[in-house]
Amino acid sequence: MGERLKPEPGGSKLAYFPGARWIKRIDPWWGLVLIVACLIIILVTAQADPFSNILKFVSSGIAVTVLVTVTSFLFVLIIGMIGGLGRLSRNPFIRLPASLYVEIVRGIPLLVQLIWWYFAFPVVIQQIGEWLNINALINYRADPIFTAILGLAICYGAYMSEIYRAGIQSIPKGQMEASRSLGMTYFQSMRHIILPQAFRVILPPVGNEAIALLKDSSLVSVVAVADLTRRGREFMAVNFNPIEVWTLVALLYLVMTLFLSRLVAWIEKKSHFER
Amino acid sequence: MPIIQAQNVHKYFSEVHALQGVSLMVEKGEVVVIIGPSGSGKSTLLRCINRLEEYDEGQIIVDGNSLDDVRNINIVRQEVGMVFQSFNLFAHLTVMDNLTLAQKVVRRRKKDEAQKIAINLLEKVGIPDKALAYPIQLSGGQQQRVAIARALAMNPKIMLFDEPTSALDPEMIKEVLDVMLALANEGITMIVVSHEMGFARAAANRMILMDAGQIVEENKPDDFFKSTNKRTKLFLSKVLHML
Repeated sequence: MGERLKPEPGGSKLAYFPGARWIKRIDPWWGLVLIVACLIIILVTAQADPFSNILKFVSSGIAVTVLVTVTSFLFVLIIGMIGGLGRLSRNPFIRLPASLYVEIVRGIPLLVQLIWWYFAFPVVIQQIGEWLNINALINYRADPIFTAILGLAICYGAYMSEIYRAGIQSIPKGQMEASRSLGMTYFQSMRHIILPQAFRVILPPVGNEAIALLKDSSLVSVVAVADLTRRGREFMAVNFNPIEVWTLVALLYLVMTLFLSRLVAWIEKKSHFER
Repeated sequence: MPIIQAQNVHKYFSEVHALQGVSLMVEKGEVVVIIGPSGSGKSTLLRCINRLEEYDEGQIIVDGNSLDDVRNINIVRQEVGMVFQSFNLFAHLTVMDNLTLAQKVVRRRKKDEAQKIAINLLEKVGIPDKALAYPIQLSGGQQQRVAIARALAMNPKIMLFDEPTSALDPEMIKEVLDVMLALANEGITMIVVSHEMGFARAAANRMILMDAGQIVEENKPDDFFKSTNKRTKLFLSKVLHML
């Protein structure tokens, strides 16, 4: 512990010029986002046929991909927190279900889970409805987007539980003890002391999960969600130009993941603290 | 009536019998210093008093609240401040927030009121200029003084000190002990686990030697330092030799 020496502005540079500090604060990796974005723009403008047509056709898919990813990720953050706290609970009636959830969900491929939620889950609901004689349940039909969000959130929530658990466990025990010794309850201590610190620790893996989730959201195209991947396939089925379609789709995913990765890095930097 | 009544307290850590029937009465305003070799159970006893550690047998009553009743735990903890060997300041909060958080959350004080109390306490422990610093930016001695102020902000009736100077550089020990000495003179009830014999001589009303989970000797400081008990003499010779 103790204070660390902060480097002089531009101290390690050969030359110091005004404005360098401001430039230094910009993460150079934003350049990569820019390059990929420019590449897409160049393709679309210079080769309007087919690229512009493809982009117009898949643009609704981009919106769906973003919607599915963002919504499910919000649920993932909540489920992960509950699951992580649950796995750390001293009460076996909370700990065991939480562990069971993580172990089961982790062991089944995401694609199989999505298919199960879309094709098997509605039938289960309908049969329960018939058994209980409730019309609302008998007429239950799977909504593609709802099912996709449900499937992604439950699957990624299990991984996120483990990340939360590791993050909470990484905070020194003394923090909780000090907090409890001041009369704060377990939940007050979690909320004000442990989770704010744990969240900073887990930011890198959480960002990783967000990026992985964005990419894995392409799997929802098999359960009738018209996301970016599915729209690409639809366009290809009519015009049959695989190189152009899949190159553009790949670039669109890439620009989104690169952007997300910068966003995470920015949040990480803003919430950084030493200890 | 004693403010702390511990009767025949037993504590097991799986195989280890850490407290073997410890009984301790502490009167209001008393300063008790506990010494003993490591593993003798002195920290465990301290941690049982605000139930950071659950005891397995016996009874502890703090200010009329029995710790057997789970509902009393947070009431007791509000009355009992604790200072740790490793400071345990909240790493993500400024000194000011360290001092005001529990006041706001537990004591339901308004922000202004909590800050006023915090500033007064920081002045009392001699670091009013560090209110906006983060714990990492402070020296060990300063961190420990903030930790003492944080505990005092809750207006505890009792302060527990668990080896408060053991993790400090020699030159920082005095600044912490001075704060503790001032507290002792104010008449707050204190239990201090520490091998700072200078502090014990100056502040303690009573001294206790623990060994192997039991209280070996309990005496007024003057008599304690002249003890004829073999175990006490042996331990004191080691501790005093250190200085």
